[in-house]
Amino acid sequence: MFSLRHLLLLSAASLGLFLPASVRADEKPFRQTIDQEIRAAWQRENVKPAPRSSDAEFLRRIYLDLVGNIPTYEETQQFLQDADEHKRAKLIDRLLDDPRFARQQAAYWDLTIFGRSPPGGEVTRRRDVFQKWLEDKFAKNEPYDVWVKEILNAEGSTAEVGPAMFYAQFRNQPEEAAMAVSRLFLGTQLQCARCHDHPFDKWQQLDFYGMAGFFARLVFVESGNANQRVMLVGEKRTGEVMFSGPVTEQVPGKKGTPVKAKFLGGTPLDEPAIPAGFKDFEIKGAKAIPKPDFSRKEKLAEWVVAPENPYFAKAVANRVWAQYMGRGLVHLVDNLSDKNPPSHPELFDLLSQELKAKKYDLKWLVRELVNSETYQLSGRGESTDAAPRWFERARVRPLTAEEIMASLRQATLHDLTVKPGDKTPNVGSEYFMRYFGEPLNGRGDFQASLNEHLFLNNSTNLRQMIQAKKGNLADMLATSKEPVEERVERLFLTALNRQPRAVEKERFAAHLNTAGQKPEVLVEEAIWALLNSAEFRFNH
Amino acid sequence: MKSPCRVREHLSRRAFLKASLSVGGAAVANWGGLFNSTSIAAEAKKQGMRCILLWMNGGASQIDTFDMKPGRPTGGPFRPISTNVTGTQVCEYLPKLAQQTDKLAIIRSMVTSEPDHPGGITSMHIGYRPEVTIAHPELGAVIAKYHGKPDADLPTFIRMGPTGNGGAGFLGPEYQPFSIGRDGRLPQFSDPYASAESEQRRGDLLRVIEDGFTQENKADPFGAHRLAKEKAWKLLKSKGIFDVTKDWPKAKERYGDSDFGRGCFLARKLVEAGVPFVEVGHDNYDSHADNFVCHKANMNQLDPAWSTLLLDLQERGLLEKTLVVWMGEVGRTPYINNRAGRDHYIRAWSIVLAGGGVKGGLTYGETDIDGKTVKDKPVTEGDLFATIYSALGISPRTKHMVGTRPITVAPERSVAVTDILS
Repeated sequence: MFSLRHLLLLSAASLGLFLPASVRADEKPFRQTIDQEIRAAWQRENVKPAPRSSDAEFLRRIYLDLVGNIPTYEETQQFLQDADEHKRAKLIDRLLDDPRFARQQAAYWDLTIFGRSPPGGEVTRRRDVFQKWLEDKFAKNEPYDVWVKEILNAEGSTAEVGPAMFYAQFRNQPEEAAMAVSRLFLGTQLQCARCHDHPFDKWQQLDFYGMAGFFARLVFVESGNANQRVMLVGEKRTGEVMFSGPVTEQVPGKKGTPVKAKFLGGTPLDEPAIPAGFKDFEIKGAKAIPKPDFSRKEKLAEWVVAPENPYFAKAVANRVWAQYMGRGLVHLVDNLSDKNPPSHPELFDLLSQELKAKKYDLKWLVRELVNSETYQLSGRGESTDAAPRWFERARVRPLTAEEIMASLRQATLHDLTVKPGDKTPNVGSEYFMRYFGEPLNGRGDFQASLNEHLFLNNSTNLRQMIQAKKGNLADMLATSKEPVEERVERLFLTALNRQPRAVEKERFAAHLNTAGQKPEVLVEEAIWALLNSAEFRFNH
Repeated sequence: MKSPCRVREHLSRRAFLKASLSVGGAAVANWGGLFNSTSIAAEAKKQGMRCILLWMNGGASQIDTFDMKPGRPTGGPFRPISTNVTGTQVCEYLPKLAQQTDKLAIIRSMVTSEPDHPGGITSMHIGYRPEVTIAHPELGAVIAKYHGKPDADLPTFIRMGPTGNGGAGFLGPEYQPFSIGRDGRLPQFSDPYASAESEQRRGDLLRVIEDGFTQENKADPFGAHRLAKEKAWKLLKSKGIFDVTKDWPKAKERYGDSDFGRGCFLARKLVEAGVPFVEVGHDNYDSHADNFVCHKANMNQLDPAWSTLLLDLQERGLLEKTLVVWMGEVGRTPYINNRAGRDHYIRAWSIVLAGGGVKGGLTYGETDIDGKTVKDKPVTEGDLFATIYSALGISPRTKHMVGTRPITVAPERSVAVTDILS
């Protein structure tokens, strides 16, 4: 395996496809390496790529990906009319410095880590402190390894210490914590090894319980009021995970033996013996949890982010790649395994090496990714995959519930109807969460929901945004004295960030001129149509 | 390549065509057998079959219903009564059903594999043990596929009450369940504020945008989005059928005035209108305490609803086309715990089939004198699903390609209970 890989690397290098990272890094931006590697695979696989995206396609895509909202009418017009050949790179730089970038990244990672319904009940339902903490990390562009280490080392109250929320999901469930840490930060699926040695992969049950051992000593004290439950997270000096063999051999009363904490695919943890006669503190009713003289989670945190950890850099490189490119170089994104090789092995290695060399600067990585020609391909083409394997066409991803809400407000100019000083109205976020919160099934495919469309068709939540109200788009279009074609243009540029096609212009103009109907009714119908399109529903 | 598909089949086939990929342990769906070159419905050996699943959520007690053990320590307080089938007795709280027992095929020898609710709910809806890597479709999705009309206005897989959790699995979005309330009420936001003309105008505008977009943008999710929108519109066109307020006052005298009764009544109307699969949930049989209070109350609702459903189907000539399945995710323990409850039990329990494709008036399999073990002819969940599919004219060996793996609708080693097939 190794020698074959070696040969491939050598031959690739001799063909001049790429050079070692140390040489290359000074010579050209990484985005070019990406494009070279992707192109080489197209040739090898005989795949025909899509053309470059139009400016309008790119504009909407990059806004949604970097700041989680569509651009305004003015931003759209300005960008489409800009003749500067570097306007895409300049826009990317501007959006990366936008405060919304940090918020969008925090939202992405928060959702990655917790999902829509995390374990932990009321404690983990609202995560403002964690989200603010994470947003701050992205605003400062703090290296990924630094903040991950903070998460794994977290202790204290979820009301005060942002990262403490992570472990609050896993109260008294060291096995769940082991699976989550392995999956999220090491890109490794351990769940099969919980009940039996993994059938396909190298993981054995003892690997699983060895990892769980690092979390066996976490302790939790719950407090707070009905409004917000709070978890105090800490660690004891004693406590072990018990292992009793394959699940099929379990019988009632079988207790099992304690398992030593062991690094995944590595060595057992070297830890000082517990002093004779040592008695751990009593957690019942504790207001604070004293630090033990030896901390397992601290050792784990050090090992996870250590430069020699074989999984850490690969896992994050693959995840961020997938965030922007639609699928991981290893797919599924957190299933790094010898049995599941990357689609582009050289690129995958270079990507993780380079990210490590750049000290886990995620903003650098994002900038390189979205500046690449690969990212900027059109979404048009014959491939029917949401995210094509060879990246020959832009990926299609459903907007998140948050992106939909933000984009609907933006597209309808809803917030202009709110008087200055008024509280931002809730447009029905609980419904948006319910109907748009989990658009993908367990395998990452979009699952269309009938309920989503019933909501869009019939709810007053959307209607309040598309009915004419002083200051909003419907009002503007209904009362405008502009020629009808110009009003149609404004409608399309505001809601879909592009010019209408000829047939659209004609049909929508005819619609707005329908005899015997009130203009505000016709305008409402027209806006509804745009917001219900697949074009609006997805980032493409 | 020319194919004899109907236009709609063809469209959806194109829209949901997926590359066959096997990734690691996880198989990626290609939306199953949409590659088939013959039309889907023609694959089923019978046409226009339907199925109503009466789902006893929580798991009903076999000893207190269809496999009674009077006089034994496990027997409990209920007494058996005679039925219109000589030698077959059922619980005294199922008197109306006792008069329809000649329609029932009672299986008393269920031996299944998932002792708890989530796993049991999954496996008794998909016919397989739950797997991480393969998303098996539920019974309803398979039947929707083989007996649903692709261009029907009504959904083809309707569920009342939140019970099954597998959905369409690898069969893809076309066969997702449409969930309505336990009492048959439509989901929130089913009442349009827009007038029919307004709905028409905005729909036409939307199609203009979609048509332009589709020309150039071919990815599957766009198609799935449009399909769901079309389904939402179709539903609005046909939603009248869900409104039973006018007929219910009269019908409830026969079906019993309960949500479950109302659900059974609506299920009858839906299969009459051509819906191939309807699931009606009945809560809650999970009687870890006060089993007998719980079961008596439940049977008071179950008895009129179920027996009237069978009668109505028969009167309309629908019974021979409609298989009515009565089951839950688990059975209940023969022994009675110290809270007068019965816990979950999967080593010997009962389910009941009636109508389309099965013989009536028989029992199959037998448990021991206390109901603790199956003495004869054990039936697994896989065997049960093979039986159900066979009764409906769908070969249990029907394969779908999931990645590169051919997956049969019932497990490979399952065997249909041919003794009860008609």
